[in-house]
Amino acid sequence: MTGPLAVTVSGLRHDLRTPVNHIVGYAEMLLEDLEGPPDAAPRLALQETLGAARDVLAIIDRDLSPSRPEVSPRELAGLYDSLREPQGRILRTMSDLLRSGAEAGDGFREDVERIVKAAERLVVPDAPTLADGTAAAAAGTPAGAIATAPRAAILVVDDVEDNRELLRRRLERQGYRVEQASGGRAAIAAVSARPFDLVLLDVMMPDVDGYEVLEQLKTAPATRDIPVIMISALDDMASVVRCIERGAEDYLPKPFDPTLLRARVSACLEKKHLRDQEKEYLAQVRQVIEAARAVESGEYRPGGLVGLGERDDELGRLARVFDGMAQGIRAREERLRDRVRDLRAEIGAARGSGKQNGTVIDGGNLQPGERFAERYEVSAVIGTGGMGSVYRARDCELDEEVAIKTLRRELVADETLIERFKQEIRLARKISHRNVVRTHDFGVWGGVHYLTMEYVEGITVRDLVDSRGQLGVSASLAIGAQLADALAVAHEQGVVHRDIKPQNLLLDPDGVLKVMDFGVARLAEYQSTLTEAGLVVGTPAYMSPEQLLGEAIDGRSDLYSAGVVLYECLTGGLPFDAATPVSLIAKLLHEEPRSPIDVNVDVPPALAGLIVQLLAKQPAQRPPSAQDLAKRLRELE
Amino acid sequence: MPKILLVEDNEMNRDMLSRRLARKGYEVAIAIDGREGVEKARDGAYDLVLMDMSLPEIDGWEATRQLRAAPETSALPIIALTAHAMSGDRERALEAGCNDYDTKPIELDRLLAKIQALLPGVA
Repeated sequence: MTGPLAVTVSGLRHDLRTPVNHIVGYAEMLLEDLEGPPDAAPRLALQETLGAARDVLAIIDRDLSPSRPEVSPRELAGLYDSLREPQGRILRTMSDLLRSGAEAGDGFREDVERIVKAAERLVVPDAPTLADGTAAAAAGTPAGAIATAPRAAILVVDDVEDNRELLRRRLERQGYRVEQASGGRAAIAAVSARPFDLVLLDVMMPDVDGYEVLEQLKTAPATRDIPVIMISALDDMASVVRCIERGAEDYLPKPFDPTLLRARVSACLEKKHLRDQEKEYLAQVRQVIEAARAVESGEYRPGGLVGLGERDDELGRLARVFDGMAQGIRAREERLRDRVRDLRAEIGAARGSGKQNGTVIDGGNLQPGERFAERYEVSAVIGTGGMGSVYRARDCELDEEVAIKTLRRELVADETLIERFKQEIRLARKISHRNVVRTHDFGVWGGVHYLTMEYVEGITVRDLVDSRGQLGVSASLAIGAQLADALAVAHEQGVVHRDIKPQNLLLDPDGVLKVMDFGVARLAEYQSTLTEAGLVVGTPAYMSPEQLLGEAIDGRSDLYSAGVVLYECLTGGLPFDAATPVSLIAKLLHEEPRSPIDVNVDVPPALAGLIVQLLAKQPAQRPPSAQDLAKRLRELE
Repeated sequence: MPKILLVEDNEMNRDMLSRRLARKGYEVAIAIDGREGVEKARDGAYDLVLMDMSLPEIDGWEATRQLRAAPETSALPIIALTAHAMSGDRERALEAGCNDYDTKPIELDRLLAKIQALLPGVA
């Protein structure tokens, strides 16, 4: 009976009784902690487990008598088969207990998990003994890690048939699927044809030796990650070292020791398994990164990460959150599109009514047809204001439509002020955004200071409101969100507009809003403060309290003005109405505005609340940033 | 409170048995291999040693022999524990100098009776 395949009883008894010791010890301890009736489910589960552990002990003592030194492989296979039934009972009852959510004091679940772990070690700890799902079901093992793990495939490469046979039988007994190759060439052919989880490779072979097989396996990307265990005579450590340096995982000395074989094969497969999991994980991380790119380029389709989102780990959570966010963005974009469509309808209606004004206003210094600054051909006067006049012109150098804004002489009389103004314009020129009118140049020609900027064919929000009386909620939100976007970009670059008002907001025929005159308002401020010159320029109705008082201002002052613009769009009127500028300013500084909802019942309460917040007297009580405002406007239904 | 030194390399065994003994009112110290077991037993004032027999570094048999050979631990009660539970293990343990012997899985009441019997002032 004591042949080369026999297994020592003493070691086996130790290996099996140790987990039984854990199972019994933890189960008894948990029973001591349990409260409640004797037939409570957790108590019954633990008693069932103790009963199964006793059955395991009886099987061990029956098949592995303490008085005999060894057992045959056949007996061993029989022993493992018998152990599966009580093991299945333990795993089943303990998994149910975990699933039931039962708790009895600190560490209850951890101890139940320890019992599960110990039970999993009972039957051939290092190998998935159960061939596949059907066999698992037949053996009565619960569906779990053990039952569903696929059988690992091992290639045994040795030119000596007896060696191969010996390894095959041992490994198969431990539940692995084994293929054989009688030489190096056959080994490489087998590995190229089918996937293996592990290769056991003899060093000395007549055709292609182990070194070369190893070399080929480790250089080819497809086979690089298959672990290789070298088989070598005990006295040949030099070749073992050489193989490990070339990428072998481990070695097995001849003659084979069953315990060592089991341990090394199992450790190698475990490492391979972890590596495979890691690779799969990384592939999924790449999927998330790809999805992020798709979102950036606007190609992401919500639901694209569904499979990944089903993982119950951190990565799955990330995928779910990501997909949710992408869906949110998409929904907001769709809302914005709808709003712009409504806005375009309003613009079209305003144009149709023919009531818009400001297309041709006489009174500028330049005449249509006049050539200005040696490169611009003036085609029309498109507006005049406190600062000067605006003309449409053709830039003959670049063959491009531009707008020219000439500045009134009083504003540019002081050279130091001009320098400071240039500074502002330099800053404003850096703002590049679809919702900002681009500033091109600042110059002087024939004593006239002027700015050139992008020409936008369109209508001002001023004209739109005047023509429509008031705008719908959707169109107003489209204006507000685009204005907030423009302000966010400007504020980020340190530029405060200072004169946000409907006259400075242009809408092109597609409903794209363009904010004009970034940096320009500063010029008027230098020139005439409110107290000195009494409202020469500026538009007090849209000015924040701090700006009216001549205090230091920041981006939140523009937010106040945006609030007034929104108020006016939705109601057709201003938050404060007064007969004289002085009484207007008094109200603006001291009175609370009427909520827009009181003027127009169609204004959604959330939007009305947001506008009232924008109109807060104290900057700190307004939304913290234009970015925040843009986000909140887009989130409004 | 009686002080027990548990010499055991298996983590789950240590966790489980030390917790169960602590619940029964013993103070339990841990050594994770034979060498550490011998050192701790020499340094500390323990009332009893529970010695696993299959230990790394030096095994339980050898650790027991070393404790018996040193005058300061020659009389320290030692109970051998083994999961092998082979015929003759008990005799070998007693020969090596253990006072008693028990098998794993532990039957707690049986082990507690053996511990009690060996504690000073009881036997």
